Amino acid sequence: MGHRVHIVGVGSPFGDDRLGWVAAESLQRSPVLNGLDPGRIVISILDRPGAMLLTLWDEADHVIVMDAVRSGAAPGTRHCFTGDLATSRLPATSHGFGILAALELARALGDSPHRFLLCGIEMDDSGSGLALSEAVAEAMPVFVHEVEKEALALANFAQSSETKDL
Amino acid sequence: MTEKRRIPIQVPVLARVEGEGTLELHLRDGAIEDLRLRIFEPPRMFEKLLEGRDYTEVADMVARICGICPVAYQMSAVQAIESLFGAEPGPWVRDMRRVFYCGEWIQSHSLHIHMLAAPDFLGYTSITEMARNHADEVRRGLRLQALGNEIIRLLGARSVHPVGARIGGFHHAPARAQVDALREKLQAALPEAEALVRWTAALDLPAEEQEFTAVALRHPREYPMNEGRLVSNRGLDISVDQFATRFVEHQETHSTALHCLHDGKPYLVGPLARLNLNHDRLPPPVRALADSIGIEFPSRNMYHSIVARALEIVIAMRETIRLLKTYDEPPAPYVGVTPRAGTGYGCTEAPRGLLWHRYDIDASGVVRGARIVPPTSQNQARMEEDLRTSLRSLGVRQGEAALRRRGEMVIRNYDPCISCATHFLDLRVQRR
Repeated sequence: MGHRVHIVGVGSPFGDDRLGWVAAESLQRSPVLNGLDPGRIVISILDRPGAMLLTLWDEADHVIVMDAVRSGAAPGTRHCFTGDLATSRLPATSHGFGILAALELARALGDSPHRFLLCGIEMDDSGSGLALSEAVAEAMPVFVHEVEKEALALANFAQSSETKDL
Repeated sequence: MTEKRRIPIQVPVLARVEGEGTLELHLRDGAIEDLRLRIFEPPRMFEKLLEGRDYTEVADMVARICGICPVAYQMSAVQAIESLFGAEPGPWVRDMRRVFYCGEWIQSHSLHIHMLAAPDFLGYTSITEMARNHADEVRRGLRLQALGNEIIRLLGARSVHPVGARIGGFHHAPARAQVDALREKLQAALPEAEALVRWTAALDLPAEEQEFTAVALRHPREYPMNEGRLVSNRGLDISVDQFATRFVEHQETHSTALHCLHDGKPYLVGPLARLNLNHDRLPPPVRALADSIGIEFPSRNMYHSIVARALEIVIAMRETIRLLKTYDEPPAPYVGVTPRAGTGYGCTEAPRGLLWHRYDIDASGVVRGARIVPPTSQNQARMEEDLRTSLRSLGVRQGEAALRRRGEMVIRNYDPCISCATHFLDLRVQRR
């Protein structure tokens, strides 16, 4: 029996901030992921879920969150972090509860997924409107393929090798 | 002259509140000389952005003002515009708008109780720290918040900045099966919401009574949400179009958010004001619950706001269950409207309190002027008044850390949304 993987695309309709949504839509059409037993892979498209991200983890063994990244790297750079990434330095507010704050809250509750991955593409801040920037659009196919491979590996993760990475 | 000692403390006092601001405290000979809640978040110019826009765009634009209470902005706007156009959306739309609003109260109040207020009263710096010792309560809060979001999604397609509302009704009517499934979930979760009320009432809340003017909507039969007259505990009773005759916003040099005063004085809006003025409108089972927790409403203890919020979650869940029990898919989820030139007014009860809108619209349906008075700017003078009273009663000779802690607790108790009001918080103490 394999594991259940929840893939979450986070974003908004605007510019490169929508890249999590575009990647999630692409993965929803993936024949590889659609070929798995129903329920093994769940894909959600969300606008700033805040602390509500935790409620999605209830049923999942592993979680992959896809979001736009702003780290100072060149636009189009692909990133993938595991759940042990540094604690967020930004304070969590009632209106601004980020992905890392949600992960920290899950840890405090003892409700962390077995494996948590935050995958993203460096966004181009100069973009505007509704379309992805050229750099992000170019990186998208490889990014989607990498997340698909990761999700498949996690879904087929052998029960015996189950580990807590968080 | 006494030597001036200025101690600026750079602390994100309201780290769990949205926006940018500072609490400035000037003390002379152990007494408060001046106290200012300085808000310096840049103004967002939303009212100006609405000018020149077609009336059909307003509901989606105002939903962007706040990620927590977009429904409130939408409901005040549609009420204002429909009243001007003489539109009558009918009972289905009226009921579903109340359901939509209930969803927002449930999610916003759950968020405030667990993320802002409860950690203060239990001595934690954050919900994450509180979760280590109160995991079941935090999980319960998250479940209730998720239910609120689900109600918003049912009618709004998504819970943040929903897109389902329009002038005349909704773009889409949910299917009966979807409604039934959600109603069953709410019914199952009702005992959790009732347990939340008892939990908040058992918290060790500071016992401090204050005199204040409370203002809220009042409806002939219902606990107020989408409609009613503006009333206060000092005899005010006016229709929403008369708001500007008794409530005046003004600019304070220390703040980018406008301060709104009622007959020149501070006043309270929000859950405690609503409950104080409408406890006789509680549905009987909620009334019985309120009577069983050992707190009497109307209450003059501002910290009973957390209990009022929890009671309002139960009201909202029961109302949603009641309204969805007889749900039928309508022939059309909205009525058509015809633009008319003039000025329309709308006022509804956002989770944080009264949200008043006014729109001037021309004959072609284009917005020529807009005024939006959010709850946080109405509560700002009251927050300053409360801070003076609370810090005096704590003792201003206390150290900065104690003053800051109490200041934070007072302000967070109002659930301010600084970004909506313009926008938090360093504490700067000046002792002389």
